[in-house]
Amino acid sequence: MRSPSPNEAYIATFHTHFGALTFHKKLKGLGDNAVMMPVPRKLSASCGTCVQFSLPFDPAWADEDLEAVYLHADGNYRLLFENEES
Amino acid sequence: MTKFKGHLPVILAGLVVGIASVVLVALGNPVNMGFCIACFLRDIAGGVGMHRAAIVQYIRPEIIGLVLGAMIMALAGKEFKVRGGSSPMTRFVLGFCVMVGALMFLGCPLRMVIRLGGGDGNAILGLVGFIIGIFVGTLFLKAGFSLKKSQPQPKIEGLLMPAVNVGLLILVIAAPAFIFFSVEGPGSMRAPIAAALIAGLVVGAIAQRSRLCMAGGIRDAMMLKDFHLLMGFVAIFVAVLVGNLIVGGMGLKGGFNPGFAGQAVAHTDGLWNLLGMVLVGLGSVLLGGCPLRQLILSGSGNSDSSVAVLGMVVGAAFCHNFGLASSTDGPSFAGKVAVIIGLVLVCAIGAGNTKKA
Repeated sequence: MRSPSPNEAYIATFHTHFGALTFHKKLKGLGDNAVMMPVPRKLSASCGTCVQFSLPFDPAWADEDLEAVYLHADGNYRLLFENEES
Repeated sequence: MTKFKGHLPVILAGLVVGIASVVLVALGNPVNMGFCIACFLRDIAGGVGMHRAAIVQYIRPEIIGLVLGAMIMALAGKEFKVRGGSSPMTRFVLGFCVMVGALMFLGCPLRMVIRLGGGDGNAILGLVGFIIGIFVGTLFLKAGFSLKKSQPQPKIEGLLMPAVNVGLLILVIAAPAFIFFSVEGPGSMRAPIAAALIAGLVVGAIAQRSRLCMAGGIRDAMMLKDFHLLMGFVAIFVAVLVGNLIVGGMGLKGGFNPGFAGQAVAHTDGLWNLLGMVLVGLGSVLLGGCPLRQLILSGSGNSDSSVAVLGMVVGAAFCHNFGLASSTDGPSFAGKVAVIIGLVLVCAIGAGNTKKA
């Protein structure tokens, strides 16, 4: 997956706050300037936490708590990855 | 400007909730109790005979409207996602404990804001306690607290809570002999069924749309330095305050009456007002939302939230059957013991569900 341009960002959504915390820590460990924030209303009706990051997303990062990854550009969100549920 | 536009839905939602609560008081609901999730779930528990506190028995149409309004909005927005199975027993116990705290303070976080807007100084102590509880909750979240992810469930699972509420609506309209209706006290003070139901439907729909959450606002401000949801919280206060000043000026029921003593359905024991709301704040953060939010989610297909709501209903019945709920005279000894046990229990649940991120 390519790196987002300066006016773009990846947004990862999660089933749990713990999932966001773990992902955020992982991205920080990889040197990314990841930020935890409330999930944008356009993406979910939940009042949960998401992570905004800029490193190219690697599907290997997905654990069971990851819900989806979007590319955010110009106020629009494009679904890039959706985690399968059993 | 674009940023303000993003905040507009939650601000409007807060204003509508505040106005609705002032109007419902003017139409008959108890003063400073236009909307109270804890009080109204407690009234419903009494209405169906789960407790025998004669002054708080009435199947509140506001609650029915909230659940059905949220369901209608979730279905319309294709957001009716049926999920559940995330630590249901833990959520039941957390809901129970939240109700124990709320009935110590005599109100949920929404009523706390409404009481503030009515001039009830006791609610300031409640607000301090609520903030402390949320702060402790965020410590658990930062430490890795999780009730584990929910799973997709059959649609019927998500439809059962709205169906129960349709059943309750039939009961309150038909008023069969086995349903309890208070003839005195707060349970006897009620807006007309149609007005209460419509107010509930409107608030339920906009709360689903805006994600309005009392606990979420303070939690996000503390943890993420995000003030979006908090704006809804502030908007409710402003609308109730202005609304009360207006209805007070018009000589209608309600109004702004600043002070501590003699406030409607409230007591003046500051320590226990504070501790009760510590329990509510902490429990709400671990549940992922305040009682209002749990109710809205229960109407949106989230069976985990339905279990939390059932915990609150059973908690309310328990509180009134065993003398744990406060009265206008103050908290009971049993209620104080219950709040302490609740705090210990909720902290144990927090610690027991925490793992290193």
